[in-house]
Amino acid sequence: MGTRDQGGQVRLLRTWRAGRSDWRVQALSIFSLAVAFVCLAAALLVVTNIATVRDRWSRAGRATIYLRDGATDAEIADLQRALQGTGGVAKVRHVTSAEARREVVIDEGDKALAALPPSAFPASLEVGFTEEVRDDELSTMTLKLRALPAVETVETYQRWTDRLSSLLGGGVTASACLAVIVLCAVVSVIGSTMRLLLHRRKIEVEVLKLCGATDAFVRRPFILEGATQGAAGAASAILMLGALFMIVRGRFDHELANLLGISPSFLPWPIALGMIALGGALGAATALLTLRKMVAV
Amino acid sequence: MSLTIERGEFVFITGPSGAGKSTLLRLVHRTECVDDGRILFLGRDIARLTEESIPALRRNIGFVFQDFKLVPSWSVFDNVAITLEVLGMPSRLLRTRVGEALERVGLAGRGGDRAQVLSGGEQQRVAIARAIVGEPALILADEPTGNLDPQLAIDLLGLFEDIHDTGTTVLFATHDRTLLDVRPRRVVVLDDGKVADVPHGLGTPGDDFEGEDFEVEEDFDEGAQDSGVRGAA
Repeated sequence: MGTRDQGGQVRLLRTWRAGRSDWRVQALSIFSLAVAFVCLAAALLVVTNIATVRDRWSRAGRATIYLRDGATDAEIADLQRALQGTGGVAKVRHVTSAEARREVVIDEGDKALAALPPSAFPASLEVGFTEEVRDDELSTMTLKLRALPAVETVETYQRWTDRLSSLLGGGVTASACLAVIVLCAVVSVIGSTMRLLLHRRKIEVEVLKLCGATDAFVRRPFILEGATQGAAGAASAILMLGALFMIVRGRFDHELANLLGISPSFLPWPIALGMIALGGALGAATALLTLRKMVAV
Repeated sequence: MSLTIERGEFVFITGPSGAGKSTLLRLVHRTECVDDGRILFLGRDIARLTEESIPALRRNIGFVFQDFKLVPSWSVFDNVAITLEVLGMPSRLLRTRVGEALERVGLAGRGGDRAQVLSGGEQQRVAIARAIVGEPALILADEPTGNLDPQLAIDLLGLFEDIHDTGTTVLFATHDRTLLDVRPRRVVVLDDGKVADVPHGLGTPGDDFEGEDFEVEEDFDEGAQDSGVRGAA
């Protein structure tokens, strides 16, 4: 175990010794990789937040039952009682036509809206559901409610959720395309860097081979450097995006929360760590492939 | 051409430029490969080694070059330690062995210096330390004194002789006649594809060996088991 630890120590020292003299090349490579990764991370950030918004709206737990103009108070009261007695319904609030008009006109402050007649603002029942209500139960309830004579229509905000799902699908596809582009960029940048480093360390590689080093031994520091560059590029991208996110969130948090109904969140840890691991793995694989034939002296 | 070098011998390889001194050493080191014939080292035919077996061969051979072949940006310690790192030696033992090797070549305490700041003689000493630190069976020295002044060259030859005294076989390629005359050693003269083997040196300084009738071994002795290097082509 001790010998293995010391072997690892020697390998790391060898990588450090090899890499320290080429730190400028390494820094440039990491910066280029960070630019590539920042695009992917930004796309993932957008996708993650769209997913959160969709989940938030799909679990909004509310529906609006628009009442017919001719619905009587007795019918409305009966409907309200029936709903309150239904499993999964948390609360029911009757919004009269006048209340609906007042909410919209005051909130919007729009003269055109104020000129609209009261009939343009139908009375409704705002229904809040508990978390346990399943989608199929909600659909069944909606169908039954629509069949009632006092009910004009029922809005469950499903279409809004569907649109967000569609947007999310597009975002995921765009992210996948970006991931492929980033992959190509990483392969290109690390491949070029490795070729450059190999050229700069020609004498070092020659000495190693003359001392009896195997190809694997010669390649090892390069592979470690490739992995480090990839991981450092991804980590730098996450840090840059994180800083940008903090600035944007600090200024627009309130507006975004009003607009989306949620506070935007940064990339979850598993995704951030996954990106760093992806960068490391890509860097190592690219270095290995680049040097496979070039190291033979 | 046939040549046999026994284990523990110190042999000068000499001859005019282009005679094949360096090529002979490079063939033994398997930096180059023979077109035909055999080179036996410790009973194995170097010419038939697979690519995977070459590193193992080189770990048994120390090589010293005229141009030192040091990594300039590395420290003296790192340049010597690389031989042991290739062998997978634990770091503690590695430090001890590198320290001993540097002491043997007269560079004790210089391990932290960058190779590029050393003088030519010191750089060659580092190269020698790198060659001996792994305690190889054979040391190949290809014009190791070619870039050094005469006195420094004789000092370095003394160093090689010290190494040889510990039982290491040394093949020392040089065209510097003064070195051959410092002490009577076996001299192998390569010229025009022929080997002239002179067991006890070339004689007194000023003697001209050119034109004399040197015996060229043409038979390859397969029977001997204690040899260092044998070659036949």
